[in-house]
Amino acid sequence: MNNPFEHRRPTELEDKAHAEAVRHFAGHLKQFPASREAVERLERDADKIALAANRAASKPTPKENIIQADDGRQWHKSLDLMENIRFCHRPISYGAEYAVVEHFPAHGANEILNRGWNATEVLKAFTQGLRQTLQVWTEDVSAQVREFLSEQFPGHDLSRVADAFIHKCTTQAVSQKHELTHNHEQKHSHGVRI
Amino acid sequence: METIPKTETPPNPPPPERLAYSIQEAADMLGVNYFSVYRLIQRGKLKPCRALRGKLLVPRTELLKLLATE
Repeated sequence: MNNPFEHRRPTELEDKAHAEAVRHFAGHLKQFPASREAVERLERDADKIALAANRAASKPTPKENIIQADDGRQWHKSLDLMENIRFCHRPISYGAEYAVVEHFPAHGANEILNRGWNATEVLKAFTQGLRQTLQVWTEDVSAQVREFLSEQFPGHDLSRVADAFIHKCTTQAVSQKHELTHNHEQKHSHGVRI
Repeated sequence: METIPKTETPPNPPPPERLAYSIQEAADMLGVNYFSVYRLIQRGKLKPCRALRGKLLVPRTELLKLLATE
């Protein structure tokens, strides 16, 4: 989506509405870019991650890196993909099986999100799911912003404001300050981890 | 002069329980970030409904169900 304000300057009302939307949806503006960049990083590093997983699968795993997943089998942790989400492998007689496993600290469970015989394909399936999640998020924020604008400024067509907001949300880079805050929050999150 | 005895006003009844919450509210209640809630939706662990203009709402029953399985 292009920024509609690049082609025609916003009116005074559009400026005001945009500022209010930015204030009201500050949480989305802060969190979406951080999540999008995390997904992009995984996509960019997919080959390296798959290679590292292949290497890990060819070596013995220390005992403390072996976990039991919800399929009842033992999986060997290869590397961390995101907070509490790990890339794992399981030795089999003719090679290895790979899986993306999410750990739930609240009850210690390990849930398999994706699995397969090819590390690259497993990773690809995982990042595709994350991409779909970002799409669900984008559509929801768009609906929320449109609802907010129609309630705050009834009788005005502010679709350009909504489009500009979504453009900002989905394309702006994570500021260093936000990234640090995000990392800090992740390290110290104490809620239910899902 | 006679004064009219004050009648005690009954306390306000508690507000009715909400049936559904926005993604932000659901994230706050669960203590997670927004991405985690959208991931739960994408994976079918939380089944949202849509308000008239299309925004997602998480039914309270879905949150309770999730916490019960957690």
